[in-house]
Amino acid sequence: MEHMGVEPGRLSFSWISSAESTKFVDVVKEVTATVKALGPNINFKKTAKVA
Amino acid sequence: MSEREPKIVSFLCNWCSYGAADLAGVGRMEYPPNIRVIRIPCTGRMSPKFFLAALMQGADGVWVSG
Amino acid sequence: MITFKLNGKTVQGEEGQYILQVAQKYGVDIPTLCHHKALEPAGMCRLCTVELFDGRRTRFVTSCNYPIWEGMDIKTDSEAVHLGRKLIVELLMARCPDVPVLKELGEKYGISETRFKKEEDTCILCGLCTRICTKMGNSAISLTGRGVDMKVDTPFHLQTDVCMACGACASVCPTGHITLEKIRDSVTTNKFKHIPSEYDMGLKGRKPVYVPYAQAVPNTPVIDRSVCVHFKTGGCQVCKEFCGVDAIDYTMQDEVVELNVGSIILSPGYQPFDPSKFDSYGYSKHPNVITAMEMERILSASGPTAGHLVRPSDHKEPKKIAWFQCVGSRDMNKCDHAYCSSVCCMYAIKEAVIAKEHSGSGLDCAVFYMDMRTHGKDFERFYNTAKDKHGVRFIRSRVHTIEPVPGTDDLSIRYITESGESVVEVFDQIVLSVGMEISPEVIGMAKDLGIELTPGNFCQTTTFEPVATSRPGIFVCGAFQGPKDIPQSVIDSSAAASAAGEILAESRNTLTRAKEIIPETNVIGERPRIGVFVCRCGINIAGVVNVPSVAEYAATLPYVEYATDNLYSCSQDTQETMEQIIKKERLNRVVVAACTPKTHEPLFQETLINAGLNKYLFEMANIRNHDSWVHKNNPDLATQKAKDLIRSAVYKVALTMPLAEAELQIKSAALVVGGGIAGMTAARSLSLQGYETHIVEKNPVLGGQARNLYRTAKGEDIQQQLNTLMQDVNQDDNIHVHLNAELVQMDGFVGSFKSTLNAAGQETVVEHGVAVLATGASAYRPTEYHYGEDSRILTSLELDKKFMEKDSSLSSLQSAVFIQCVGSREPDRPYCSRVCCTHSIDNALILKEMNPGMNIYVLYRDIRTYGEREYLFKEAREKGIIFIRYSMDKKPEVSLNQGKLSVKLVDHILGMPLEIETDLITLATAIIPNRDEKLANFFKVPMNADGFFVERHAKLGPSEFATDGVFLCGMAHYPKPIDESIVQGKAAASRAVTLLARKTIHTSGTVAEVVPANCSTCGVCVSICPYSAPSFIEETARFNPGKAQINPVLCKGCGLCVASCRSGAIRLKGFDNDQIFAQITALNEAV
Repeated sequence: MEHMGVEPGRLSFSWISSAESTKFVDVVKEVTATVKALGPNINFKKTAKVA
Repeated sequence: MSEREPKIVSFLCNWCSYGAADLAGVGRMEYPPNIRVIRIPCTGRMSPKFFLAALMQGADGVWVSG
Repeated sequence: MITFKLNGKTVQGEEGQYILQVAQKYGVDIPTLCHHKALEPAGMCRLCTVELFDGRRTRFVTSCNYPIWEGMDIKTDSEAVHLGRKLIVELLMARCPDVPVLKELGEKYGISETRFKKEEDTCILCGLCTRICTKMGNSAISLTGRGVDMKVDTPFHLQTDVCMACGACASVCPTGHITLEKIRDSVTTNKFKHIPSEYDMGLKGRKPVYVPYAQAVPNTPVIDRSVCVHFKTGGCQVCKEFCGVDAIDYTMQDEVVELNVGSIILSPGYQPFDPSKFDSYGYSKHPNVITAMEMERILSASGPTAGHLVRPSDHKEPKKIAWFQCVGSRDMNKCDHAYCSSVCCMYAIKEAVIAKEHSGSGLDCAVFYMDMRTHGKDFERFYNTAKDKHGVRFIRSRVHTIEPVPGTDDLSIRYITESGESVVEVFDQIVLSVGMEISPEVIGMAKDLGIELTPGNFCQTTTFEPVATSRPGIFVCGAFQGPKDIPQSVIDSSAAASAAGEILAESRNTLTRAKEIIPETNVIGERPRIGVFVCRCGINIAGVVNVPSVAEYAATLPYVEYATDNLYSCSQDTQETMEQIIKKERLNRVVVAACTPKTHEPLFQETLINAGLNKYLFEMANIRNHDSWVHKNNPDLATQKAKDLIRSAVYKVALTMPLAEAELQIKSAALVVGGGIAGMTAARSLSLQGYETHIVEKNPVLGGQARNLYRTAKGEDIQQQLNTLMQDVNQDDNIHVHLNAELVQMDGFVGSFKSTLNAAGQETVVEHGVAVLATGASAYRPTEYHYGEDSRILTSLELDKKFMEKDSSLSSLQSAVFIQCVGSREPDRPYCSRVCCTHSIDNALILKEMNPGMNIYVLYRDIRTYGEREYLFKEAREKGIIFIRYSMDKKPEVSLNQGKLSVKLVDHILGMPLEIETDLITLATAIIPNRDEKLANFFKVPMNADGFFVERHAKLGPSEFATDGVFLCGMAHYPKPIDESIVQGKAAASRAVTLLARKTIHTSGTVAEVVPANCSTCGVCVSICPYSAPSFIEETARFNPGKAQINPVLCKGCGLCVASCRSGAIRLKGFDNDQIFAQITALNEAV
């Protein structure tokens, strides 16, 4: 990821069972906070392609 | 919107996290509205191409959850 | 429709609506304190005052009760309105300076401190409480007094029985002036209590209208008539007014429905034992003494504390928790329940481990027990992990009393350790592991049905007919049959279904109706014409997401020809309308934006089929569970998210192609591998249900391990019953028995297996639709305890043989010793063999019957006579059989000295070494699996580390494999006694019949497919697939030799092969790369 110029924090993996709704919410919050802290994705975005 | 809200493309396994997301809904648990879910049959379906494409096209984050 | 202006914008409302209602619909915020949507407006608080211009002059009106009229012009936020409101708020703040809602309003209007003289009131006289009380059909409270003396009160300021303590007034009070405590102390004379939620074990309240729990089936609310105010006063009816589909009918009555049936299955279950009667545990006195069922709810993410582990009294996180086992089980003194409830040891360990996982290593968990009974599959491992890895303390002691620690909510106990010390320990919380009991209602039902019960009030059954009650045609399953856990209950239920199926085989399919098949429209080559249906789900979605704007937006997306919104998309009438629209608009792709596809996709696909569309031309956007329900405080972003999700679904569905589901004939025959009790039972059940069955037995005779057993724990003669069963099998024309036979080759898959059997050199090919593996297990041949060196040292089976041979020498023995756990619960065989405790105790009792003077000793680690087998243990002790416990590190030592046989061990209670001279030693040897790798490979079924087969799901699929069409029963699954083998034999047959009875199966359309031209024959897909779907096409084949192919019947559509294919030769239909890329693109497009 870093090699390609993307901050590793932009990609998250997790494993949640279908009964763990609380964990789901916790992970969503965590992922959102991490991505928010990184700011907008400008390094990797292909600016020309996006409308 | 004063502050730009990041967009996170999320790939959720139909059997696991997608179910957890449904249940979170049933429980009316609040969470940040930044994730956008793509339902996949299993995380085995994930390919690096997908998250690279997502980031390339402007997503601020990608989340894969099984 | 009435059109008027609201803050300069043109808006519309219905005739008879008030300004406030219309403003709320358009998202215009008007503050109000006295408005409640369930009540007629009263204009009491004046806060909702707005400016009205009627064309000539400006007036101020209260928006909550001023009806709208054509052409009016309303300003809700003008300077004058603002000033007026500010004054009202300031005056209210003077009257009630400490009310939070007024403080918030003050902040909003920039008032930090009121200029007026402060009073100490909390009531703003909005009248909501008195109005709701009237609405409830009651008038217990009203506004009394005049002018400055006005207040809310009961007549003459007296506590009254007119107030029903329904709490409606407290629920609407905006300031917190009315509280439930106040109602209890100064308003009502009626008993005041919460309605306890049954699901949350009373740890939480519930409403009179409620859905029992989130996963309830059907998931519709019910009204509890015993507490609903309407059924007491005729008032309220708020739920009826609010129900968007008019589903509430108060006049509905209980109906008596008469059904003609050929068989009845009883599964009434059990009730948890109520420990209130145990005075010494103080369950009803100490809030931190809870039952295990309450603990389950506290640990549950959907429980009363949302999975946060806190104790009830003060919501403090406990640091020390104790579990007390056998509360209401194995106890004749206090509760008359002599049986063991079978499940409590395991659930207590589970709760302790989960509690530790929730709270981290700081939590101390101690389980106080008598015998640790982890006799289920993989349970012993779990027990060991709990002890060794999680550090759960296990203390062998039955605690007598729980004492509160004065001045705290903590609890103190005194117990005796194994070494005899008396210890006092304080815990924050104590969990009572309550047992199972049959409720008086069920006992009454059994009486009405005329079926016999056991001493423990469970249903009376026999070992050989374990799901048949004493009355023909009535079957039983689950905990009513005897205390049992989930897997055993699931096995029971399948078996009961089989038992009913056996006697009703002739009537199968006589009450079915054929479905009309609608021809499918060919849409290939057509330009996509997408229809988008956005669901309001009443207010579930529309209350947060701006549904009309979302539907409008959807109409602008590419290829969308039609977009609309529905009140309830899943209602029958909407389904019919959708069908009409699809046909009329010639739609060829459909998106429904509503709830979750996991529950509703099949329903909408049905609509597509009815409209003549392939069901895969469909996609759902989950704007309820993933959106409106979880972002209710953020309607703008939720609406935005809904648009994004719909766009993603539209982009995906545009690329969807109709998918075919292959139809597959099921060969109407079964193959049972193994001719023991389980296999024969399965074969017999299949045959009775009308299916040809083959039994493959490697031995020259049927019967398996049962041939070595003398009598059952219930005292039945095993050989006699076994012979009856063998005779039934041999005489059954539908069953073909292949003896001395072995499976040498197996091809095919569910529905069409082809097995080659070799019976004494002769090969036969059998075609069958399903297979049942009942290969059993065998007895461990011990190397320990000098086994084989002396004829007086036997295994349990050898003793049984002596019983069967009526060996008279046994009655002359002076002394006999049984050694338990020989080869079981050892490091290299870490499982409990489940049957040996009962077997040894029963054999000990037989010896005692032969010679009452015989000294009999049972040397054990934990006695595991689960369920009503416990009675045998009790009887044995009463008859003077001596039980001496030993531990793993101090095993008994057998010595042979000049013809003298003796056992040495350390007695745990006395702490003293003992030597027992004996005439007979019986070793309760382990049951060891057959570890048939070849068979496992043939059917592609897994084995666990111990060598037992691994079922589809440990709890919910115990009698079947993950491989479709292959089923499992008997000791090949796990060691078990005869009754449990028989139940599982019937269960496997039942599961097999669900396939056989369908005659054909449809594969899923969303399966992987190989593009042969791209395939490099690397074989990754073949090795990676958990379901063995991919294989190589034969080298000699005419087309694509050597390339991979995927069998759509076996493919579960997981996509593992797709992601792992290096050549990109595999595509997953319905989740194709281009579809997922389209979704990614859609989500990243700015709106």
